[in-house]
Amino acid sequence: MIKKIYLIGNPNVGKSVVFSRLTGVAVISSNYPGTTVEIAKGYLYLEDKKVEVVDLPGTYSLDPTSKAEEVAVSLLKEHLKEEIAVINIIDSTNLERNLLLTLQLIEEGFPVIICMNMCDDAGHRGVHIDILKLEKLLKAPVISTCALTGIGIKLLTERIKEVASLPRGEFTHQERWLEIGRIIEQVQHLEHRHHTFREVMEDASVRPVTGLLMAGGIIYAAFKFVRFIGEGIINHVTDPLFINIYQPLLEKLSLYWQQKGFWFHLLIGDLIDGRIDFKQSLGVLTTAPYIEFGMVLPYVVSFYLILSLLEDIGYLPRLAVLLDNLLHRLGLHGYAVIPVLLGFGCNVPGILSTRVLESKRERFIAATIISIGVPCIPLQAMIFGLLGKFGGFYVGGVYLVLFFLVIILGVILNRTLSGYSPEFLLEIPPYRFPPLLMLWKKLYFRIKGFLVEALPVVLLGVCFINILLYFKLFDYITSIFAPIVHGLFGLPKEAVVALAIGFLRKDVAVGMLMPLGLTANQLFIGATLLAISFPCVASFVVLAKELGLKGLIKSTLIMLGISLIVGSILHFLILR
Amino acid sequence: MKKISLIVIKSNEKVKISEILGGSNLESKLLSMGVYKGKPVVKLSHIGLRGPVVIKAGRSILALGHNVAEKIIVERE
Repeated sequence: MIKKIYLIGNPNVGKSVVFSRLTGVAVISSNYPGTTVEIAKGYLYLEDKKVEVVDLPGTYSLDPTSKAEEVAVSLLKEHLKEEIAVINIIDSTNLERNLLLTLQLIEEGFPVIICMNMCDDAGHRGVHIDILKLEKLLKAPVISTCALTGIGIKLLTERIKEVASLPRGEFTHQERWLEIGRIIEQVQHLEHRHHTFREVMEDASVRPVTGLLMAGGIIYAAFKFVRFIGEGIINHVTDPLFINIYQPLLEKLSLYWQQKGFWFHLLIGDLIDGRIDFKQSLGVLTTAPYIEFGMVLPYVVSFYLILSLLEDIGYLPRLAVLLDNLLHRLGLHGYAVIPVLLGFGCNVPGILSTRVLESKRERFIAATIISIGVPCIPLQAMIFGLLGKFGGFYVGGVYLVLFFLVIILGVILNRTLSGYSPEFLLEIPPYRFPPLLMLWKKLYFRIKGFLVEALPVVLLGVCFINILLYFKLFDYITSIFAPIVHGLFGLPKEAVVALAIGFLRKDVAVGMLMPLGLTANQLFIGATLLAISFPCVASFVVLAKELGLKGLIKSTLIMLGISLIVGSILHFLILR
Repeated sequence: MKKISLIVIKSNEKVKISEILGGSNLESKLLSMGVYKGKPVVKLSHIGLRGPVVIKAGRSILALGHNVAEKIIVERE
């Protein structure tokens, strides 16, 4: 009786895509090793019986050498072998490397069914595998699939019941590689091919000169595209909707309001020259939806579109190779670019994915750097919206300050923290071009996630702020922190409220700066400080979870210290 | 046959792995990824200033940090 099904395989063979196909549960999948950091669970109907399916993190063998591998192996051994089925997912384009795990699974008596995934890609690359012969040699069912398009998935579910536990003597890895060599010779036929354009690009992107040129071009283009698409959506979609349709509607509604008391203040906010101003009114029905839908959402869409594209093509591990050098100086290694890039979308998944790094020390450095020096896309969107009109100089300035801050902070942490940082060892996936449908699905999944998490917080947050403002409860906090904010940072004392709100959500916090009528320089300091200071409450929770209480306190103190120093220095340099 | 470290040879050179120094942990990790004694590999590139080395082993492309690559001893044919 099969009670549980495990998906196991080398990193980056498409386990998560197979998992989504089997269970219908949407999970993020990308073209780099280590996308799955949290164990996903779902259900599948096997002959009308509901069976749990578990997507394990990728592992090269059953002798774990990293934390993620350890988790995978220990989960696999939780149940009796008679009660489980193991789907071993293999990247058909690289059968040889994948077979080590397969042989080990069979030797230890796991009931295995083998899923030869990415069969279409193997065909394109001139790799032909004799499935029937492989099945005979391994004495386990082998199915050829292409999870991206769904080919073979039905057959896979039908044949799961054929699994059987046939333990055999255990070998050493050396002996296994010899056997694999023999198997490969019998089942795999490689078409002789000339280098394709794709392969030339794959090589060029990891060579020093061409690689750096490509990296520079890609990063520049990615940034330009994010701004271009984001601004395009704002100018052609959201702004017309808000100004031509929503605003007249609200203004008509507000005419019926005879007494502009508490509720008017809460929902509509202040009228600017007798009219609603989405950027300054600060009402639950005016500024709150405008910040989220009119300023932030367009950039969330454009950012994740570009990030998802780079992820799925498989460019990010190549960037990791090129940046390994620099990141070494910060006590990290190349692979830390993945958490950092995810952090530019939202710090929460960024900090979560620091799990791909092996040592505690690296995870601490990476998580601290992300929460201090990496602004999430909602915050960046607000910075574009606010500072953009003063010129690219100011926007670029914020990034420049953050960049230098990250470098200085990383170097200091690397020199002062005890422990060591492990070496860089990473498999580079080939470039792949996923169907557009997959890209849309991923984008939809991420945007939905953003709205579900952000929208309630923003609406409630603005509500809460308005109540506090209405009853003048902020005055107390303002008067306490005014000396720091005004004296040290050179901002008006009302900015205290904005900085405090930063703990709730960064985009709303920048929104709170909008009605204050700040100069470009003051806005620049305010926005930079918001990026550096406290992470929002969601990142704070994840930070606590990943670093533990001690790590959290350490990280927070560093953050507070840096905010004070950077705020004062910027004030001194720019405003005086 | 001459035994030298992976960081010394030039890009595009075809060599055979002869020895992996630096502890069984690294050795077993590389072993599970398909890099073991006797395996033919091609060095694809080497990022300067003590950057990583990229090799091709079988159909896999692997990036190895400078300190890892240093410990991999190879022999030329």
